[in-house]
Amino acid sequence: MSRRVVAHPILGDLIEEEVIEFEFEGLKLKALKSDTIASALISNGIDIFGFSESGKPKGFFCAIGKCSSCLVVVDGVPNVRACITPVRDGMRVERQKGKGKPVW
Amino acid sequence: MVKKVQALVIGAGPAGLCGSIAIAENGVEVLVVDEGLVPGGQLPKQTHKFFGHEGFFASVRGFEIGEKLYNDAVNLGVKFLMKTTVSGIYEDVIVLYDRENERIYEINADYVLIATGASERFISFKKNYLPGVYGAGAVQTLMNQYRVLPGNDFLIVGAGNIGLIVAYQLLQAGANVKAIVEASNKVGGYLVHANKVKRMGVPILLRHTIVEAIGEERVRGAVISEVDDSFNPIKGTEKELAVDTICLAVGLQPSIELAAQAGAEIKYIPELGGYVPIRDENMKTTVDNVYIAGDLASIEEASTAMIEGYIAGYNIAQKITGLDLSENISKMKKELEEFRRGPFSGKVRKGLKKFGVEFPEGGFRTEPQKDEGPAGKLRVKIECPQNIPCNPCETSCPTGAIDVGGNINGLPYVDYDKCIGCGVCVMKCPGLAIFLVQELSDYSIVGIPYEFELPEKGEKVLLLDRNGEIVGEGEIEKIVRNSKGKTHIVYLKVPKGLEDNVRHFVRHEEKEEEIVCRCEEITRSEIEKAIEEGYTDFEELRRYLRISMGPCGGRVCRLQTLSIISLKTGIPISELESGRFRPPSIPIPFKAILKGDEKDEI
Amino acid sequence: MKYKVCIIGGGIIGTAIAYFLGKLGENSVAIFEKRYLSSGATGRCGGGIRQQWSTKSNVRLAMRSVEFFKKFKEEVGMDIEYRQGGYLLLSYSEEEARQFEKNVEMQREEGLDVEILSPRMVSKRYPYINTDGLILATFCPTDGHANPHKATFGYANAAKKMGIDIYTHTEVNGIEVKNGKICGIHTSKGYFECDIVVNAAGAWSKEVGMMAGVQLPTESYRHQIFVTEPLEYFFPFMAISFSGNFYMRQALHGQFIMGQGDKDEKPGINENVTFRFEKEMARKMTKIFPFLENVRILRHWSGEYNMSPDAQPILGKSDKIDNFYYAIGFSGHGFMLAPAVGEAIAELIVFGKTIHSDISYLNTERFKKGIVQEKNVV
Repeated sequence: MSRRVVAHPILGDLIEEEVIEFEFEGLKLKALKSDTIASALISNGIDIFGFSESGKPKGFFCAIGKCSSCLVVVDGVPNVRACITPVRDGMRVERQKGKGKPVW
Repeated sequence: MVKKVQALVIGAGPAGLCGSIAIAENGVEVLVVDEGLVPGGQLPKQTHKFFGHEGFFASVRGFEIGEKLYNDAVNLGVKFLMKTTVSGIYEDVIVLYDRENERIYEINADYVLIATGASERFISFKKNYLPGVYGAGAVQTLMNQYRVLPGNDFLIVGAGNIGLIVAYQLLQAGANVKAIVEASNKVGGYLVHANKVKRMGVPILLRHTIVEAIGEERVRGAVISEVDDSFNPIKGTEKELAVDTICLAVGLQPSIELAAQAGAEIKYIPELGGYVPIRDENMKTTVDNVYIAGDLASIEEASTAMIEGYIAGYNIAQKITGLDLSENISKMKKELEEFRRGPFSGKVRKGLKKFGVEFPEGGFRTEPQKDEGPAGKLRVKIECPQNIPCNPCETSCPTGAIDVGGNINGLPYVDYDKCIGCGVCVMKCPGLAIFLVQELSDYSIVGIPYEFELPEKGEKVLLLDRNGEIVGEGEIEKIVRNSKGKTHIVYLKVPKGLEDNVRHFVRHEEKEEEIVCRCEEITRSEIEKAIEEGYTDFEELRRYLRISMGPCGGRVCRLQTLSIISLKTGIPISELESGRFRPPSIPIPFKAILKGDEKDEI
Repeated sequence: MKYKVCIIGGGIIGTAIAYFLGKLGENSVAIFEKRYLSSGATGRCGGGIRQQWSTKSNVRLAMRSVEFFKKFKEEVGMDIEYRQGGYLLLSYSEEEARQFEKNVEMQREEGLDVEILSPRMVSKRYPYINTDGLILATFCPTDGHANPHKATFGYANAAKKMGIDIYTHTEVNGIEVKNGKICGIHTSKGYFECDIVVNAAGAWSKEVGMMAGVQLPTESYRHQIFVTEPLEYFFPFMAISFSGNFYMRQALHGQFIMGQGDKDEKPGINENVTFRFEKEMARKMTKIFPFLENVRILRHWSGEYNMSPDAQPILGKSDKIDNFYYAIGFSGHGFMLAPAVGEAIAELIVFGKTIHSDISYLNTERFKKGIVQEKNVV
């Protein structure tokens, strides 16, 4: 979790929090319980959340669920907004490539 | 089953919270719905101190204001539904989408206060789709709420208050800010905010813009260039900056979708931030039971958002209860009048006047103080050159040595006979614009407000001037810690004669394509081509190119597209049709609707 | 300013008529549209192109239209995302199923390739459809769908190239009638003299009729429709059911477009939407198409069906005013019939009679004889 702001002159030190584990593209990664999928990925140094239809890399952009930049596949379900979806223990996250695949 | 509430407040930011408090104070049942993870809107990510006066939390940090207002509301019995988006105001019902439980609720409300705030604007430049190009608000959320920095070296685009504040907060979180570029010829935000980052060595490049992001998979750099009078990049002036993150702070646009769905008349008034619902001085829209407050009504400051929230809230309470609340209402209107007298409210005054809501201007002191005080005495130096509605310096001074001349917008004067150099005002000033100076026989003392990791007493440091240039070497003389307010005072020993220059220090060890529509990857040139082909209506372009048909619902691209149409056709944006704002305002899964059928309690 | 033909309405019908007039060499033509092109029902519809109708005449008109849709790109010069992915008609009532079997017999006689599928065959072919309660289905592989906006723009651009004028944001507010003949129209951009006026005003057809003092038997009813976030394209046909009251297709771009009819709608123009619609659709559609459960609804809007008494269009010349033509009352299927109708009305204007399609049975006279309802309408 290299990109965590551990000490902060205004907000104080980061309060110890439960660490959970989730999967991203097959990698086992750690996150804080209060993380969203986006903050968990960024803290792990992952900026590329998926690829657009034409193959351009996509990351998050607005962080408040207003744009559609950060769509990922969660446990097989596509079009999940990483920036407003809390990360869960054991969650399986994948990069979305283009449009999502239907599940039936 | 459709639940019924007396008052529904949409948005738990400063406007919505104050509105809900005003309504609940009068015994009315209030439900507040907000899509964020925590209440407070943008307040939880604001780590800086607010301007204004004590009644509206001047000198208190944003995240603390959010907590305080939320607790007040809860104590008054206000009900909160977080992580829940109002997905639509339909003809038959209002629909709430609870993301956590993936279900919807249907409700009806006698009165609705819409305080949905604003969303960030986006600009197009080459390769702006790359990960590493982020909204300023997004960076703030990530670093201050989730405590994650999305990069190390930042370029900020835009020198309005948001760009300046984010730059300062990035420095506080330990990142580097390589530059702030600003296309216009002056800093749009408060100079005191600009001064905070300038004295730490962050260059603010006026008449500059970003033209390209560099990188293949993510940002590895940025190309900036000078612009001409019509903001077009000047060929040959390009410069490359090695940054890994580009932070866009190019302004906000009111989030009007729900107000529009509720049937409120919308007008394009650029002075208020773009498309805004028309409303009267009581914050009532053209729909009788729909009120608005905050950035949705006009892009402004949190303090005015709070006051507007109270005005709307008291009016709603008055309508529901039949009580006479005219005294509360006129008190708040007076407050608002005071806040809007200054030069920074000029645009808002002009915009509101367009639909008949008038605010007076002026009536405050504009002449800066000439007297610099007696040399040799430890005394304050206030560097507050603009008429900002703010007075904590006056109200915090224990000896009554500072006054802003009666009106809150006035420039502060110091009575040097009364000033004892205690430094209370230095810690309180939200703009970090007050310093302490004393000329001694061998050296001088400069006390500066400081919000970073503290140095050691006796430590040798490099002294910086107002532009962040090194002007000499000094020593930490004394540190006064402020554990509550977090603005400490660091007293520096500086060479004689530099007391008027030194304002900061560094410790020795420290030192392709332009996408308009992100959802559908539609470029500026595609839009321009379509306009040339004759598709000159927003709705025509939407249908032809699919612009704004993606999952963001047009938040990112609508205004940009309208400006491109306007530029190409010469028709002002205000005369273009803005297109419809269709529900749902957030895509809702079928599953959630089905689940909404099962149980009814909220 | 004078034009030979003034067309009121810039939807698919008005632009198709203008295009075919141009093709026949008549370019003293102008279209008057009060908003922007395709702003009415055209730009709000589902975009289906179906030939499986219950009356012979409709089947013929639709088949003629398909001939044009197939060569749209080459002839008109716009890619309208046309795809012959078929139409799957699902029947949930015994009575309707028997009618379907009769319809198929008639449709085959007309030369249309249509299959009858049992529920088992449906679930084998389309494993993502839940066939509970299904009695039978019919499938026509040459049915399909296209993008209605692009088709309108295609006709409009081609018409402009042939010298036809298009006035958008121009409202017609009066029709000048002298001695039983129209001599011009009053618009927000001034008065235009003309020899012929075509009423192609869709939802506003009745109001336009009134301007010339003619009472037309059309009423507009709101129909709602919504679209989901895109998924990978895998669902090439339109699924539709009259007894089940729904239609759904996947656009080439990936999003699902769907809607249903509402018997409780009152006549009038209403562009708002209700949540009840989303709820009813969610219940029904996730049962039949379970994969929709995790799919998100993106945008919901409405448009008008300009209904005629028998749910079939009203085409031809007015029996009261000799130089007043109609192409109205499409009852929700104007888009799919537009090419054949455009051709027929243009022929009627230029030659005084139609050449390729018989539309005489669709004039206003028919209502005097009694009403034969078209049943295959959602």
